[in-house]
Amino acid sequence: MAETFTFGEMLSARSVIGTTLAELGETHDNLWVLTPDIGATLVEFRDKYPERFVDVGLAEQVCVGIASGLAYDGNIPVVSGMLPFLSMRALEQIRSDVCYPNLPVKIIGTHGGLVGNGGSTHYAVEDLALMCALTNMTVTSIGDPLMVGEVLRQSMAMPGPLYIRLAVGKSDKVLYEPGQHDIRIGKGIVARQGTDATIFTHGTVVAQALEAAEELAVEGFNVRVIDMFTLKPIDADLVAQCAEETGGRFVIVEDHLAYGGLASRVADVVADRGLHLTAFERLGIPQVFAGFGEDEQLRDKHGYGLAATIAATRRVIAAKP
Amino acid sequence: MGQPTLITGETRHTVAELEELAFELRSKLLHLCGTYEGAVHIGGDLSVADILTVLYQYGMNVDPTDIANPARDRFVLSKGHAAVCMYIAMAMRGFFSYEGIVDTYGQLDSAYGMHPCKVQLPGVECSTGSLGHGLPIAVGMALSARGRGDTHRVFCVLGDGETGEGSVWEAAMAARSNELGNIVAFVDRNRQLMTSFAEERVAFEPYPDKWAAFGWNVVMVDGHDMGQLVAAVDALPASDSKRPTVIICETIKGKGVDFMEKNLAWHAGRLGAADLEKAMTALKSTRKKATV
Repeated sequence: MAETFTFGEMLSARSVIGTTLAELGETHDNLWVLTPDIGATLVEFRDKYPERFVDVGLAEQVCVGIASGLAYDGNIPVVSGMLPFLSMRALEQIRSDVCYPNLPVKIIGTHGGLVGNGGSTHYAVEDLALMCALTNMTVTSIGDPLMVGEVLRQSMAMPGPLYIRLAVGKSDKVLYEPGQHDIRIGKGIVARQGTDATIFTHGTVVAQALEAAEELAVEGFNVRVIDMFTLKPIDADLVAQCAEETGGRFVIVEDHLAYGGLASRVADVVADRGLHLTAFERLGIPQVFAGFGEDEQLRDKHGYGLAATIAATRRVIAAKP
Repeated sequence: MGQPTLITGETRHTVAELEELAFELRSKLLHLCGTYEGAVHIGGDLSVADILTVLYQYGMNVDPTDIANPARDRFVLSKGHAAVCMYIAMAMRGFFSYEGIVDTYGQLDSAYGMHPCKVQLPGVECSTGSLGHGLPIAVGMALSARGRGDTHRVFCVLGDGETGEGSVWEAAMAARSNELGNIVAFVDRNRQLMTSFAEERVAFEPYPDKWAAFGWNVVMVDGHDMGQLVAAVDALPASDSKRPTVIICETIKGKGVDFMEKNLAWHAGRLGAADLEKAMTALKSTRKKATV
């Protein structure tokens, strides 16, 4: 069933997951959905295909292990849960039981970043670093709620594992008008064109980066925003192209540890390709246990909110070559 | 596609024949351990040798000439460090050549390594090695079978030491919750960890009660008594029943070689030529009857 939505409105990524999985369950009779007690999103699939829905209760390790066993037997399992637990409690199952045999298990979940006000047990802040370290794993982080559906649809043909990171997923801004962007796993999205600097970002803070670019446009700056929703494999050609076309002025903004996430992936491309940069600033979560607060408050407190993004972008634009 | 070849009827082995096959498996294990330059997990290989013999030569419906047959029974070696015992048991069933295993084991680019890898060695059902991972995967395979209405079983062999891993008990609950009577777990209960005797470190007892409390059908056997192993396989509940079965096999680590039995020094090791001869002499002395 097609989603109806309006550009700029808020939409729940979770509802998109639920609808998309129910739709894919019809076309793929080997699609299974598993969850460790995070099933509210999955009601539509569960009701339509109860024989292919497994809620194991609070048991992330066996949840991923079961997904592995299902995939060994030719199925496409989607594991849906909260990422701080899936990415760490079940990390070894993901690595040894899914990535090692290169099975088509999708890990999709919420609470990537300082979101949800659950405190540090409930923030996945190092998950992308962990997932990017895994052989065979494709790693994505998605801000636009409709993109979740598109990525899930594309993933049905992928032979190996996939990680899909969301924020809270209850209410997310629709960032892209339909048909305006070519959304393909492994390719960055030019969310906004510009030539003065590039902001690379992913996930829930793409909207913030676009807002920063709009505010800077008022000051006469023309800032490019890249939604690098696939962190692995990174779109290295796009990084090189942005270095060339935006004066080697890079800002990376992400709701993840500032070291180990997208900033590190981009820095690797810069180093490996010998790209010449004028300025490089990374905004993300410092190595602290972040405490409580609303999402935006925590971003401001820890130096990667809207004001910090605008300030950093001004600095890289002003940097002397 | 035909059904896989279950060894049944007139072709089905007698207990005496299975005992001979287990002796051959142990002999081949010792030969490999005596010729390979590195360490082999010989203690746990020898404790599980009778279990793997009864599975590959009697209990499991598999076809070495059609390894992807959807009707085959699935096998997960959760105690992945007994890989070499599984490779040889599979070779004796016709999956691989024993010479291919002995000639390349543990060497660069060999498919036969310390822990099994399905990608490198097709025929193996599942890549394992990290303990506590096999039973969850077996639950997934069993759910898949149920989903398709298939009647094959999923067999999983665990060491007792690895049942210290919490993930085993998550899987035990999941198997019961999903009423997977098509799962059969064998626990190779050799009562030794790598560096200790199990009960000295972990209060496993009352061990059968733990499985029973998780809702499993519990069967106790002497894991070196081929008659008891065969009887346990013969008495398995139908695969469409609702209660998973665990066969707790009382075993001896290093079984068949007196100087290895219950000896913590032989969790893993390497035999030189002299020790190989000594080990073979010890093994031969355990045979119940002479072969022709």
